[in-house]
Amino acid sequence: MDVTDLGMPGVGPELGGLQRLAPKPARYLLNWGRKYSLWVFNFGLACCAIEFIATSMARHDFIRLGVIPFAPGPRQADLMVVSGTVTDKMAPAIRRLYAQMPEPKYVISFGSCSNSGGPYWDSYCVTKGVDQIIPVDVYVPGCPPRPEALLQGILKLQEKIDAESLPQRYDGHRGAASLTRPLLGPEPSP
Amino acid sequence: MKQLWPGRVRAAFADELGERAYVEEGFGPVTVDVPADSWHDSVLLARDGLGCTFFDWLSAVDELDDGFRLVCHLAHHRAGRTDHLLLRALLPREAAAAPSVADVFRGARWHERETHEMFGVEFTVDGRPLELAPLLLPEQFEGHPLRKEFVLASRVVKPWPGAKEPGESGEAAPSRRRTRPPGVPEPEQWGPHPPGGPDG
Repeated sequence: MDVTDLGMPGVGPELGGLQRLAPKPARYLLNWGRKYSLWVFNFGLACCAIEFIATSMARHDFIRLGVIPFAPGPRQADLMVVSGTVTDKMAPAIRRLYAQMPEPKYVISFGSCSNSGGPYWDSYCVTKGVDQIIPVDVYVPGCPPRPEALLQGILKLQEKIDAESLPQRYDGHRGAASLTRPLLGPEPSP
Repeated sequence: MKQLWPGRVRAAFADELGERAYVEEGFGPVTVDVPADSWHDSVLLARDGLGCTFFDWLSAVDELDDGFRLVCHLAHHRAGRTDHLLLRALLPREAAAAPSVADVFRGARWHERETHEMFGVEFTVDGRPLELAPLLLPEQFEGHPLRKEFVLASRVVKPWPGAKEPGESGEAAPSRRRTRPPGVPEPEQWGPHPPGGPDG
C-alpha cells in the first residue's frame, strides 16, 4: 500500500524578542489575555458536536469563560475542539485545518471517540484517537460528555495556559510523534 | 376487485420467471429470490410491471459459504399507501458478479459502488465488469471490510472486553473451547509469528 507519511506537527514558530524575554509579570499578562480569549473552532464529527453546541448556548454558555464560538474558520481560531468520531478518511482534513491555525494553538479532544476511538475501537475505518495525528492539550472523557465536562475541560486548558511560558512550549516542544511508537518495531539485533 | 400486493408480485414474477423466482411473504416486506442472471430483468420488471418506481437501497449480505446475497429494496408509492418489495439474488463467492441496474434506476450507481468496495461484488454491463471508483473508503484501502473474512487488526491485538459466551466470564469449564469474535482469524493464520517459529 502506498503510504503518504504526513509527519507530525511539532515545530513551533519563531518567537519574537518581546515574547522570549518577557519578564514574569508581562508573561502573566499575556497568558491572562490569551486564556480568556479563546476563539474556538468546533471540529464537529458526530453526536459530541451537539453537546458542544449545547455548551455554547444560553444555559451553559461558555462565552462567560472567554471561549468565543464565532471563529469564521481555523485561520482565525486559537482552540480546536475535536468532537466526534475521527475516521481515517477525515484524518488528513483535521491535520490540514490544524496546520492552518495560528500559533499558539490548543486542542481539546472531546469525547471517547476522539480520545481513543471509543466504541469504534475495533472498526476498520476509525482512527484510534485524534492524538495520533495532532497534539492534544486536554482530553474530555464521556460518550458523549455532558456540557459541564466540556466546561471543566476549558477550565483545565485555561489553567494550563496560565502556567505556560511560550519559550518553554516551543523550545522543548514535544510533538505528538514523541508520544507514539510503531506497533511492531524492528527486531532487536542480537 | 383489485388484487392485493403479494398476489400481484407473485403473478408478475410467475409470468416472467416461472419456477425460478421464489416469492416469500413473511412478517416483513414481500421478498422475491431471483437467480443472479435475471437480476437486471427482475428489477426492470419490478419498476415497469409492478410500478415500484422508488429505489430505496441496494446492498449485499455475506452468507459465508453460500456466497453473497444481493439485496435491493424497492417501493411502490400510491396515494395513502406504500407497498414494499425486497429483491434478492445469491451470487457465488468465487465469481461474485451481477448485472448493473444503474440503467434502470440511475441512483443505483452509488449503491453499486458501495457494494463493490465493501463486499468485492462486481457489477457488469454486457458481461464486462465495470471500473467502479471507491465511494466511501480511502483510495489506498485494501480489502473489502464488510466481508466476514476481513481481519479487524484492533480486535486481534486487543482481547475482546468482557465475555463473548455465557459462562465465559467466571467459572466456565476450562475444557470449553474459546470462541473467537468476528474478524479475528486463528493465530496460526494471521498476525505476527513469534521468532523461532516455523517461518522465521
